[in-house]
Amino acid sequence: MSATTVSPGELRAARLRLRLRNSASFGRRLLSRPEGLLGIIILAFFSVLAAVPELLVGALETATTASGSRLQPPSAAHPFGTDRLGRDMLNLTVHATRISMVIGLLATAITVFLGALIGIVAGFLGGLVDTILMRITDFFLVLPTFVLALILAPILLDIIGANAQLFGMRVTLVVIVVVIGVTSWASTARIIRSQALSLRERTFVARARVIGSGSGQIMRRHILPNVVGLVVANAVLVFAGAILTETTLSFIGLGDPFQPSWGQILYAANAAGALPIGAWWFMAWPAASIILVVLAFTLLGSALDDLLNPRLRARR
Amino acid sequence: MAGGYIGRKLLQAMATILAIVILNFVLFRAMPGSPERVLLRNPNISAAAKAEIRAQWGLDEPLPVQLVSYLGATAQGDLGYSFKYRGQPVLDVLGSRFWPTVILFGLGQLIAVVVGIALGAYSGWKRGGVADYVGNGISLIFYSAPYFIIGMVLLVVFASMLGWFPTAGMSSLGVRHATLADELIDFGRHLFLPLTAVAIGLIGQYSILMRASIVETLGDDYVTTARAKGLRDGYVLRAHALPNAILPTASLVAINIGYVVAGAITVEVVFNWPGLGTLTVEALSARDFPVLQGIFLLLSVAVVLANLVADLIYGVLDPRVRA
Amino acid sequence: MNPPDPQRLGRERPDALADEHRRAQHSAASDDRPEAPRQAISPSVIEARERTRGRRQWPLPKLADPNAPLLVVDDLTVHYRLEDGWVRAVDGVSFRLDDGQALGLAGESGCGKTTTALSLVRLLPANARIKRGKVELFGIDLVPKSESALQRYRWREISIVFQGAMNALNPVLRVGHQIAEPLEMRLGESRGRARRRALELLDLVGIPRQRGNAYPHELSGGMRQRAMIAMALACDPAVVIGDEPTTALDVMVQAQILELLEQLRRELGLSLVLITHDLSVIAETCDRVLVMYAGMVAEEGPVRRVFAAPRHPYTTSLLRSFPSIRASRRTLDVIPGSPPDLRNPPTGCRFHPRCPAAMAVCSEQVPPEVTFEDGVRVACHLFPPGSPGSVAVAAPHGEAMSSAAAAPGKPPS
Repeated sequence: MSATTVSPGELRAARLRLRLRNSASFGRRLLSRPEGLLGIIILAFFSVLAAVPELLVGALETATTASGSRLQPPSAAHPFGTDRLGRDMLNLTVHATRISMVIGLLATAITVFLGALIGIVAGFLGGLVDTILMRITDFFLVLPTFVLALILAPILLDIIGANAQLFGMRVTLVVIVVVIGVTSWASTARIIRSQALSLRERTFVARARVIGSGSGQIMRRHILPNVVGLVVANAVLVFAGAILTETTLSFIGLGDPFQPSWGQILYAANAAGALPIGAWWFMAWPAASIILVVLAFTLLGSALDDLLNPRLRARR
Repeated sequence: MAGGYIGRKLLQAMATILAIVILNFVLFRAMPGSPERVLLRNPNISAAAKAEIRAQWGLDEPLPVQLVSYLGATAQGDLGYSFKYRGQPVLDVLGSRFWPTVILFGLGQLIAVVVGIALGAYSGWKRGGVADYVGNGISLIFYSAPYFIIGMVLLVVFASMLGWFPTAGMSSLGVRHATLADELIDFGRHLFLPLTAVAIGLIGQYSILMRASIVETLGDDYVTTARAKGLRDGYVLRAHALPNAILPTASLVAINIGYVVAGAITVEVVFNWPGLGTLTVEALSARDFPVLQGIFLLLSVAVVLANLVADLIYGVLDPRVRA
Repeated sequence: MNPPDPQRLGRERPDALADEHRRAQHSAASDDRPEAPRQAISPSVIEARERTRGRRQWPLPKLADPNAPLLVVDDLTVHYRLEDGWVRAVDGVSFRLDDGQALGLAGESGCGKTTTALSLVRLLPANARIKRGKVELFGIDLVPKSESALQRYRWREISIVFQGAMNALNPVLRVGHQIAEPLEMRLGESRGRARRRALELLDLVGIPRQRGNAYPHELSGGMRQRAMIAMALACDPAVVIGDEPTTALDVMVQAQILELLEQLRRELGLSLVLITHDLSVIAETCDRVLVMYAGMVAEEGPVRRVFAAPRHPYTTSLLRSFPSIRASRRTLDVIPGSPPDLRNPPTGCRFHPRCPAAMAVCSEQVPPEVTFEDGVRVACHLFPPGSPGSVAVAAPHGEAMSSAAAAPGKPPS
């Protein structure tokens, strides 16, 4: 067989095709499981709501543009009822989807980035670096990070100033994103580190070393692609956690009334004393949305776990 | 159990607590500019008053000195004074709210562990069938719902709509009870809904994990050996599978303690339960940093200690870690 | 002049005692060895066993037929149900085990050895079904028995030594406790008595008594395996099944364990079913060997006969793939191809796609089992009924995988 040279472009194209084909079959396998399917359907639904809320329910109502009278139970005009200011609950809930999801997404990005970075570096380099990083990680694992987030938020707000806007989001929300990201990375780091540790012993790493690749290169080109699967599976669960944390932080008052998330709506409901008087519609829809989204992520995470850990599959 | 194991865990716990205290210090004092901003919000304070406050808080000293005096003060229980409750020592403020929280969460955790493990083990053993599917689904929903949402649902349904339970607080206001029994009953009525909220959320988690654990354990070889020995199914579950399956759940209980704290705060808010949770929210809105720090310290130390206890218990349950 | 040794992996131990031992073993040809009566045991062990005899209906269960052979398996057929069909893991396997005998089940991975052994006490996973067949212990058929009736026989009559004792022992329970457990739970002994008996068992297998308090992870691989053996012997079973008991061990430890098994067999008159893919182990320990392929019996007979003069082409190939330390150096002979997918096994003889001697009839008819004078049973069309030296024929009862019905008495071609 004659030696043919393959151009780097062809190689890249071939790799891409292979990756796409693998992803397609992976996707199909994921959808064939009831948990995976349900999870994806729910997430798709909420993603649509988050993407184009104006198309579905019009602009976000404010105190001045409230369309109904205060605290009305669900009716024909307002199928989800109205809030304390008379705003349509359906409108509020749909708009809040985007806020909650975006915060969740950004916080997850930070968490996963930090966690993967620390995990890969610690696992691959080992030795003193590993020990130090893992001590820090373990510290963060033990810490009640929620309380830490709770304290950090007002501190950061004070420093930055409450009424500025960053990337189209009000500062309060940016702070929440940062605070969640900075406190939640520890478990991701641990998981990725284990994987990096075992990858370090594989032959392709030794080969890369032999041809003179530096640690940074190896980590980027060899370790990173091999932990991506784990990172994605982990990111799904981190996302669920981020949404829960954001909801809780907003519920205790750290949210923003002008860009309300689901948690913020619940805070408003509680503050308005809606519950003792039985105005259940004020809280039911955001609550249900939160539960559904977290449920979807949990199901998805479980389905991904099944796919990545076939060992457990046989026993079900 | 190897003294070495206990010793190690104790040392780790102490080191962590030290780190927490230092973190506390860093947050408050070393954040760029923040002591000034926080302490001296009022722009109308005269320069002399500012200087006096700074001297009082030791803000003029170099940081390491501040750290040492902070450590010393903390070790003696001096956690500063509350902003909001003018001049009251933080320790006192915390003390007054401590027990309601402990009761709510201690009891909730206890109930959840027992019920969750039992439920999970049973459904793992008898997996398959409609009951298992439905039970799993319900557990999953409770697992996905934040504790306070469960609390809100309970509140709306059982307290406002049905009126079976009071809607807020730990005791009925302005009511004098004739006997201790009456007081306890009243306490119990107030405790019931928040306790249920905490317990349900946790039960969801523990039963799901326990079920998965049991399913996995039942596939292990030593279970086959036990069945080969002709031992009855119930005995195999109890004496062989359970001691192994319980290990991940034990770990989760330990890890959870940190997260339960988040739930603690919010459930108390929903039910206006006068514990550390409501204190936190009040302190937050008043930017009462000494109290917030005190809560952070207290909760962190509690979590570390709880983890320590969990580690020790785990050492008893799993002989392999003692090596 | 010693008969040719079956291939061994250089298991000879250097010291004189071992040589003595080995010579004594092999001077009596294995099939001439007198059947060790079950009561032929050394005095201390007799004493130990007297103490536990009290409540047991020793030596036979109530329903047992005292004249029946120890264990007879007839036409055992076990299938596994998968999503896309049935796996015919074991199809029409028959054999017999007499008192004090050791039978080796040999074959590649996936040939059905473990399934056969586990199905004797119905320890199969939930998706397995015993479709057909009889398992007669002392003449009592265990197959139709209900789960609770069968439980009585588990461990008390048939016990198992599993491979990989690290996983087969419960990691959070002490080893001594696990040995004593069947005594307490199955025989109803008091805790004290059970504990004492467990210590005696530890003595029997050569584990120092204090180690009985250890957890499995604190013991070495060899000790764990000994503990498994002690556990298997706890209720003085009639049959002990060893499922690859030495596979997970290194060679030196393997030798020790095999020697222990031999010793116990002699002293206690154990009857053993040894499952392994390692023919050298069978050569050393067993009286008879049953070679399985793809869920069916290929050849069965006294170890020396089968290993010295194999009839079935699969047996020949299997023997050839084990290097002999004495023979001249050559490349390993590998059997081409791979074992068949048992969801759709080949028609006729299941080995025919890989068989160097395959004929036309091999793909059409399942070969009947023909027994020869020297005690060897073969299922191969090279040895059809009526071959010289054959004494009996048994048509496989298995579902007809042939296009024409098997006809006994076909003249050799």
